Amino acid sequence: METIPLQQETEDYSFLPLIHDIIKCMDKDSPDVQQELNKLKTKIQETREQILAMPGIETNLEQQQQQLQTLTEQVHTKNQLLHKYKGLCMFDIPKA
Amino acid sequence: MRSARSDANMASSEKSTKERLLSTLDDLEVLSREMIEMLALSRSQKPPQSGEDNQVLELLVQRDGEFQALMQQAVEQGRQQQEMLRLEKELEKRDSDIQQLQKQLKEAEHILATAVYQAKEKLKSIEKARKGSISSEEIIKYAHRISASNAVCAPLNWVPGDPRRPYPTDLEMRSGMLGQMNNPSNNGNVNGHLPGDALAAGRLPDILTSQYLWQSTDVSMGMLPPHHGNEFGPGHNKENEDDVEAMSTDTSSSSSDSD
Repeated sequence: METIPLQQETEDYSFLPLIHDIIKCMDKDSPDVQQELNKLKTKIQETREQILAMPGIETNLEQQQQQLQTLTEQVHTKNQLLHKYKGLCMFDIPKA
Repeated sequence: MRSARSDANMASSEKSTKERLLSTLDDLEVLSREMIEMLALSRSQKPPQSGEDNQVLELLVQRDGEFQALMQQAVEQGRQQQEMLRLEKELEKRDSDIQQLQKQLKEAEHILATAVYQAKEKLKSIEKARKGSISSEEIIKYAHRISASNAVCAPLNWVPGDPRRPYPTDLEMRSGMLGQMNNPSNNGNVNGHLPGDALAAGRLPDILTSQYLWQSTDVSMGMLPPHHGNEFGPGHNKENEDDVEAMSTDTSSSSSDSD
């Protein structure tokens, strides 16, 4: 999977730079304060929507790891079962 | 407040990652709004409370850090979710393989059960035949007796008009033991009926000799009355031809009420 873009995305999820920009604008009495506030608001909303769309976070990490282990064991068991039954004694059926 | 927060953290560990992310995001939103409002107020005449400012700032930074960690965890969970989907697909394939194998085993069991059942039935038949075995000579003798009465095939010299029949005629039946049982008082030959005494004595009158002409000359002695084994044959046909013609006429009638 693409790890670098994901790391960039996590870094983008920090809100401190935006808050810092707002505080700077307020200190300078800049007219862009409202614009920066809107940016913050928009980013919070987008982050919220992104969280709702992310797969696999309906459970916590421990539960998910447990489910993953269960699935792995099931696959292993069924593979063994199939291998066992396919390898049973074969009858030589004489052709009539 | 910090103990309450730790309790909240412990409780939040049971929450899903999504819930924790949304909760942290809400906290970030509230804290950032509060921070900005405090800064805005500080520009007005109200003197700022530095302690409260610092506290809010610390919380904001802390929440942001938590949010970042949760997002990394969410990304990791996303990768595991993909792995789980791959394993689920593999599980589905294995399940269908197992079902297919089960179906084939069931079919094989059915075939083998049928074969075993048929083999057992054959063994039973063999055993039954072995217990009730009859010698082939007896069967051939019996077949010879049946076929000797010309019941399955007409005699070689049979022509249309010949009164002989492959079945017992009406007169023959009436002259038999059953017929005599029904008419014990008959003394004369009425319409071809015989007295029972004559029959019981084992001597058949001439009128009935023609009834036996349909039997072939090579019939076995056991089938015929002992006195008449050598008296039958084609030579007697002329003597009883008229009687046979009459009898055939009688027997040809649908209602042969000869009483």
